[in-house]
Amino acid sequence: MSNQADGLADFHWMFDLLHHIDVGLVVLDQEYRVQLWNSFMENHSGVSSSIAKQQSIFSIFSDLDADWLKQKIDNVFGLKTPIYISWEQRPYLFEFKCYRPLTSIADNMYQNVAIRPISGPDGRIKQVCLVVYDVTDVATNKMAFDAVRQQS
Amino acid sequence: MSTKVLICDDSRIARKQLAKVLPNDWNVEIEFAENGQDALQQIAAASFDILFLDLNMPVKDGYETLEALQGVAGAPVVIVVSGDVQPKAIERVKAMGAAAFHKKPASSEDIRELLLDLDLLTQQNQLTQPVSRPHETAAESFSLQDTLQEVSNIAMGRAASALAEMLNVFIKLPVPQVNILEVSELQMALEYSVKEDSCSAVAQGFVGSGIAFEALLIFNDSSFPDMAQLLGMSQDYSRESETELLMDVSSVLVGPFMSAVGKQLNIDFSHGHPTLLGQHVKISDLINVKKTTWKRTLAVEIVYEVENYQINCDLMLLFTEDSVPTLEHLLSFLAEDEE
Repeated sequence: MSNQADGLADFHWMFDLLHHIDVGLVVLDQEYRVQLWNSFMENHSGVSSSIAKQQSIFSIFSDLDADWLKQKIDNVFGLKTPIYISWEQRPYLFEFKCYRPLTSIADNMYQNVAIRPISGPDGRIKQVCLVVYDVTDVATNKMAFDAVRQQS
Repeated sequence: MSTKVLICDDSRIARKQLAKVLPNDWNVEIEFAENGQDALQQIAAASFDILFLDLNMPVKDGYETLEALQGVAGAPVVIVVSGDVQPKAIERVKAMGAAAFHKKPASSEDIRELLLDLDLLTQQNQLTQPVSRPHETAAESFSLQDTLQEVSNIAMGRAASALAEMLNVFIKLPVPQVNILEVSELQMALEYSVKEDSCSAVAQGFVGSGIAFEALLIFNDSSFPDMAQLLGMSQDYSRESETELLMDVSSVLVGPFMSAVGKQLNIDFSHGHPTLLGQHVKISDLINVKKTTWKRTLAVEIVYEVENYQINCDLMLLFTEDSVPTLEHLLSFLAEDEE
């Protein structure tokens, strides 16, 4: 009985960790339906986890380039390899407001996104995880640096 | 009567590994060849029943060897054992007369099954008393370079296969080069491999079990038009779509490569997010050697080319100095496992 309670406690703190870590986590199934939506995603998008769950990512964010993103996700399923999207190719995947609207010069959050395959207990890939990193500071610094270099 | 077997592979480790996994109740005499040229000479001098053939070798590669064997009377049955697992590679060697294809490294169960399937392991040539297989030489020690080259060779085949699947093309695989480089030599090595004035590059960091390294994917800028065409981008692609292309190709080449290396070394590496090092820059500006703090690095270099396309990219793995002893230690286990 105590083992079961321990297991439940472990599960609880791990879940808490996933939810409150300062990166966006979205788990999608093969039909692009949301399986996990952490607090980062809730807070920045304003869409709660209970609403997001089981919905297609494309119906939550209608402005996503569906063909483009589907191809990336399909490649991750097919090739079983993580695929990365850099802020330099697209400033952001999800349109979120910048974390620091008063002291930052950016309006939107610049994002690096990693799409990783998740293997199930049988080793098969049935889900992928989108990991969304806020790289606004890095991006604004880099752009300011490039601008100065071009002037000189 | 014993069956005469020739094992042809440029890697000593691969030759030894294969000799070891041949069924020990199989009545065979084993000889070794270091490349296709060597194998053909041995086949001309004495008849062999079976040739185990690697594909990526210097001097004469597996394809050239298969080609040369066509029309040779009494040529051995060829079983290709290669790290290159692209479907097109398999198709091609079969069309060229190979009896079977097996991915590297093969286990003894795999080989037994394959030999039974091909009817090469029969009651007549089985020994009643299993023997222990002779190795190439008894007390052989493998250098870090040998082992790392073979590990990279296998990993590179997996990566090329992923890219080939994504693009539906055939990737030409060379032999990976493993060298210890001084800072000044790295610059030279980069300039030598990237012959053009301008290039673009993505760097990604990896760390795990005391080993840290960067994977550097360098693209000749003249590769972009063909690469864009392959990925179905419009003619007037922008700088952003070039970045996209670079990121996609690096994800697809580096990811499977790293997981294959990690699997062999039994390390689950942490991947950093890939970074755009430079776009349309001179190779000398890519890594400013004057600014680096390290002196020597262990480098693995792999040049990927896509058949019938003007696409050429260079994958370099640069290990930190302090990773080398750990890597050496891990690789020595790998070489020992195969004894």
